[in-house]
Amino acid sequence: MPTLLCTAKASYKKIPGLLELTDTHLQWTQDGKKASSIRVPYVEFLSLFCSKEGAAQVRLKLLLKGDEAGHNFTFLSPQHVAYSEREKFKKELTTIISRNRSVTDIAPRPPVTATAGVVSAPASSAPTPKPAVSSLAPSPRPSTSRAPSVGSDRFTTPVIPGNDHASDFRLRKNVLLSNPDLATLHKELVMSGQISEAEFWDGREHLLLAQAAAESQRKGKPGQIVDPRPETVDGGEIKIRITPQLIRDIFDEYPVVEKAHRENVPSKLTEEEFWGRYFQSKLFNAHRASIRSSAAQHVVKNDPIFDKYLEKEDDGLEPRRVRPEVEDLFVSLRATQEDHVETGNEKDVTMQAGRQKGALPLIRKFNEHSERLLKSALGDSHPSKRLRTGDKKLYSQIEINDLNDPEASSGIILEMQDRQRYFEARLASMAAEQAAAKKALDLKSILQEAKGNLHNWDHVLKSPSHQLKVERKPGEAALFTMTQNVTARLDVRSKKNDIPDGLFKQMTACQITANEFLRQFWSSVYPPLAELQTISVVTPAQRSAKAAKMIGYISQTPEKVNILKAIAEQNGIDPNRIETAMKPILNAVESALSFYRTRKPGRP
Amino acid sequence: MKFYIDNLPIVFPYDRIYPEQYAYMCDLKRTLDATGHCVLEMPSGTGKTVSLLSLIVSYQQFYPTRRKLVYCSRTVPEIEKALAELKRLMTYRLANAETEEQKEKERSYTGLGLTSRKNLCINPDVAKEKKGNVVDARCRDLTNSAACEKGRADPGSVPLCEWHENLGKLEQGNQIASGIWTLADIIEHGREKGICPYFAVRRMMPFVDVIIYSFHYLLDPKVADQVSKELSKDAIVVFDEAHNIDNVCIESLSIDLTRPMLDSATRSIGKIGERIEEIKTTDAAKLQDEYAKLVEGLQEAAEQRDTDDFMTNPLLPDDLLNEAVPGNIRKAEHFVAFLKWFVEYLKTRMRVLHVVAETPLSFLQHLKDITYIERRPLRFCAERLQSLVRTLELSRLDEHAALQKVATFATLVSTYERGFLLILEPFETDNATVPNPMFHFTCLDPSLAIKPVFERFSSVVITSGTISPLDMYPKMLQFTPVVQETYPMTLTRNSFLPLVITRGSDQVAISSRFEVRNDPAVVRNFGSILVEYSKIVPDGIVAFFPSYLYMESIVAAWNDMGILNEVWKNKLIFVETPDANETSIALENYRKACDNGRGAVLLSVARGKVSEGIDFDHNYGRAVIMFGVPYQYTESRILKARLEYLRDAYRIRESEFLGFDAMRNAAQCVGRVLRGKTDWGLMVFADKRFARADKRAKLPRWINQYITETASSLSTDMAITLSKLFMRTISQNPNENQTGVSLWTLEDVEKAQAKQRALALEAEQGHEDEAMDEDDEYGDGGISDNAIMEVDLDI
Repeated sequence: MPTLLCTAKASYKKIPGLLELTDTHLQWTQDGKKASSIRVPYVEFLSLFCSKEGAAQVRLKLLLKGDEAGHNFTFLSPQHVAYSEREKFKKELTTIISRNRSVTDIAPRPPVTATAGVVSAPASSAPTPKPAVSSLAPSPRPSTSRAPSVGSDRFTTPVIPGNDHASDFRLRKNVLLSNPDLATLHKELVMSGQISEAEFWDGREHLLLAQAAAESQRKGKPGQIVDPRPETVDGGEIKIRITPQLIRDIFDEYPVVEKAHRENVPSKLTEEEFWGRYFQSKLFNAHRASIRSSAAQHVVKNDPIFDKYLEKEDDGLEPRRVRPEVEDLFVSLRATQEDHVETGNEKDVTMQAGRQKGALPLIRKFNEHSERLLKSALGDSHPSKRLRTGDKKLYSQIEINDLNDPEASSGIILEMQDRQRYFEARLASMAAEQAAAKKALDLKSILQEAKGNLHNWDHVLKSPSHQLKVERKPGEAALFTMTQNVTARLDVRSKKNDIPDGLFKQMTACQITANEFLRQFWSSVYPPLAELQTISVVTPAQRSAKAAKMIGYISQTPEKVNILKAIAEQNGIDPNRIETAMKPILNAVESALSFYRTRKPGRP
Repeated sequence: MKFYIDNLPIVFPYDRIYPEQYAYMCDLKRTLDATGHCVLEMPSGTGKTVSLLSLIVSYQQFYPTRRKLVYCSRTVPEIEKALAELKRLMTYRLANAETEEQKEKERSYTGLGLTSRKNLCINPDVAKEKKGNVVDARCRDLTNSAACEKGRADPGSVPLCEWHENLGKLEQGNQIASGIWTLADIIEHGREKGICPYFAVRRMMPFVDVIIYSFHYLLDPKVADQVSKELSKDAIVVFDEAHNIDNVCIESLSIDLTRPMLDSATRSIGKIGERIEEIKTTDAAKLQDEYAKLVEGLQEAAEQRDTDDFMTNPLLPDDLLNEAVPGNIRKAEHFVAFLKWFVEYLKTRMRVLHVVAETPLSFLQHLKDITYIERRPLRFCAERLQSLVRTLELSRLDEHAALQKVATFATLVSTYERGFLLILEPFETDNATVPNPMFHFTCLDPSLAIKPVFERFSSVVITSGTISPLDMYPKMLQFTPVVQETYPMTLTRNSFLPLVITRGSDQVAISSRFEVRNDPAVVRNFGSILVEYSKIVPDGIVAFFPSYLYMESIVAAWNDMGILNEVWKNKLIFVETPDANETSIALENYRKACDNGRGAVLLSVARGKVSEGIDFDHNYGRAVIMFGVPYQYTESRILKARLEYLRDAYRIRESEFLGFDAMRNAAQCVGRVLRGKTDWGLMVFADKRFARADKRAKLPRWINQYITETASSLSTDMAITLSKLFMRTISQNPNENQTGVSLWTLEDVEKAQAKQRALALEAEQGHEDEAMDEDDEYGDGGISDNAIMEVDLDI
């Protein structure tokens, strides 16, 4: 049972309910219902907004990744209680969101510890797939095409049900949450106890892996520079909306503000005063560092507290912050500058860098901001991909790859057991074939025959009986069938889909469950792939037991179909249509049953 | 692979070769055989450097004369890259050498790179200095011969450089083992062995087979005299990335003087005067000695140059070296007074509040009228100052840099009559009110600086990826090439897409023309090009602006318009700054962002720091956007003077030169995206003026041939559609085999050679045939002589 961090009564879309924050999710349950109707995992949180203090309603808005609309909760307790409740939520959520934003912490991956439990240990200690963050562009979700490629190494990555219960459970849940069809199936089969959890996931490991990969792939920080733009409200007043998120971003971007905050709040200023004065201070305007700020000059006031933190404008030709010199000679511009004595006339006005003093702090800010983003993703000293040691690194930057002969590589030698036998066998068979071919082919007779066939070919073509002419009848017939085909299809299309919704759902459910049973059945009947054994070593006895169990379920299918037909009849629908719709699955069921029957006597 | 051109065996360090590389090598060999000069343009990224080195090294190793190779490049990154290419080539040659004898020959081949003390110094105390000239001065104090002598005689009396001392203990010519050393290698080696890398390279120079350094070391007379004097006449000189060589030539002979400089020069003169008084009382014999030497002439000084390279006379003709220094500046105190007058005169000139432009002759005349300073002593100024400095054993020469400049100026202004102009600008800009006078002594004729090079060396190769139109260079630099060639790019599929965007999606024409460049519509349209491309192009995008001024203002404007916010959504943004190291850090981060997949945009300036020497191949540059045509600032007086000179002296029209100059820089910027034929990139020219045929004709042929008619005038949205289409196709696996068309194997090379031979044979035969029946010269129209003879005339 997940632990509850905080709870509060809150309404969602004007329906009263209970808002809870567990250690994995934020969930909201409508009053009087058991299952929570909103469940948001931590990773989805994007940002948070709160209503103003003193507003009539105490509200909390949560924006989610991929769902910009987000959720809006209104706290229902009396105001002062509601406040404290909200503050509690706010505190928790802000930390979660900031954690989400910093990409450095990679999602907890299912650890590769093999516990001797229900299943045996993986045969080989598997290399965990590289955290995708390091080399791939972060994409929020794996595309479907990625799934198989991930799935292909499932045999080596032991994400096995039962291996690490907590994380695995979470994974499975997430898979089900993101896939409603699978969820219904799961509900019908597993929750009803027809098949076990393990059986259900057997053969679906790739889904779990894909989910794990998706979760471990963190979205990088968004690139935009935090730049709170004031809005003008009527009456000429200027307003800046402050959200906890904005505060966090400002602290991130300008450590000096955080320092000021630390030193002055709450000893000298209240939170509110602090921000009010900050946005009017020179410091804020310096941080905005754009040409616009000169226009806003008149609203800027001297501020004894913030002016202390004001740094000198970084608009000199050399940056204020001295950085170590770049060592790599391939990108070192300084080395060129110092390569020879300065000569020549001064550059003309347009080519002197740094003449636009106003733009320089801005440019420096861009470079620093980009660097910070990069560092947050890569860590402080991430070796670049091309960075190799010694000459290899040197050459990698100058080599022209297409001039190298790709075929000149030594290749992989095919290791074959019992090579001699293979070649001998081939030789023998080839010899036999050749002998056979020799016997069969008598060139002379073939030539003769061909010649005979070709004799008088032009006459044959010309003669009226063989004239190349399209017969009228077959053509018409063809056209007729085509028209028929089209009308038939049109007919089908135009016919209303008059199966009632409920029945249709039942039909789909029946179909899906039957399919699942069939899948389980066949997988238990057929010998497992060699590699699969690493996952679950199931004794033949277990397998046959499972097959028997499955066949039991499967054999019920026709019955179910009959029930459906009966319902259809009641609703005034032609049961034949149901019959037709369910025909393929019934056929499949039939073949499974017959297979089972014929096999049964042979191998108990 | 190994193949033959004529009978010269060529070792090429790859399995395949591009046809243009082969053609390039053939032409290069022709030049070397003819001992003449050449101009070669080869598409960027098709391995120019490697083909050049491969041919020349093969040439050196095959012929017993072993002509030395002097390879000049523009920037340190390019020098380092060339050294790396050479190192790779020699490793390959060594691995593929057949006999032990050959192996030995390859092993003994030595190549080094030279750069400044600042870049090579490993003495931590000196290297920590920020300014190059301070490092130079401090290094000289620790290593000049006088100090060394003293220090060695009495250890501890004078501080010496430990690394330099260690080097001195090594045998001459054996300071570094044979082989190829990149700059990084040599520094590391120096650290390991405790020897000075800078002097190791300098001392090894007479013994190496290849020396790689920057243009200035050969073109700037102040430097060339020190480092390149001993190069033998038969050396092969290569100027790689030579598209801006005329500017380097001009730079190396031009000088600026400002008011603070003159003040500093005055202070130096004062200090030197004091020192002379001091010496007079302590060691008068020293000054007497110097006087005697100066009577004899400067020969002694010339010998000294090698060890104590202070300031040398820029382009002092050899005959002058043997001449006696004029009497009125022989005595130290006289010379100091002479300098004082001269500086005072310059100061007076600077008080003028209107612009003055005059020729050196008129300047000298005026100087003579006012101060009675003659031309002859002025010519010796730099040399005389050097001699004095040595006599006085001055330290920390960086403090006297301004005086050195004044002396150099004096020598230059009195040496040349033609091709120079003096411009005095009292104000920095036209609308400035506070005077900030600057005296420009500007060289207008690029051929002056390079003339000694052409005269001295028999083979000079001028080559670059973008050096069109080819005939411009021989005209400007005044030489006659034996070979002049440009190579098209053979491609099995178009690996780059040049596009000309002339208008935004709103159909407003875009241009960086001065009148419209700050028009909000144009700025927004430029911005939307960047935004749209940042959405569709993976990894790196490089954007170039025509000037720093424009880039800085447009970046601010984009930020205010919220355009950059859109770019931030897709990519990181890095911008070139005035500081070189800061920009290098930005560049490193830009590369990291490209490697990482985050993607980034780099905003920089054509002709700026980044546009030279930094490659944006593969993922480092999938698109280059050229915002505007990189014209020079035509209001500049120096440029105006230069244009006038080019028109009068060489019949090069102003508009022609400006167009040529803008296009070569644009081409240089966009050419940086390719390395190899499987690399791909977009080249976006965003200005309506690029659509004009006469502009495009100035682009190198290999770019121009791929600009289709449809792609020569696009709106932004059309360009985006085309680019998307291009990227979709280029990302497919190239199914067709490049081999044989744009990629040659050894067999292809041999086939081509056989074909060529056949053609040559045919031509020869044709020629012979022609010679044989000379009679048929007039065709069928006339009556043959025989016919006339055979006619029976009834006379």
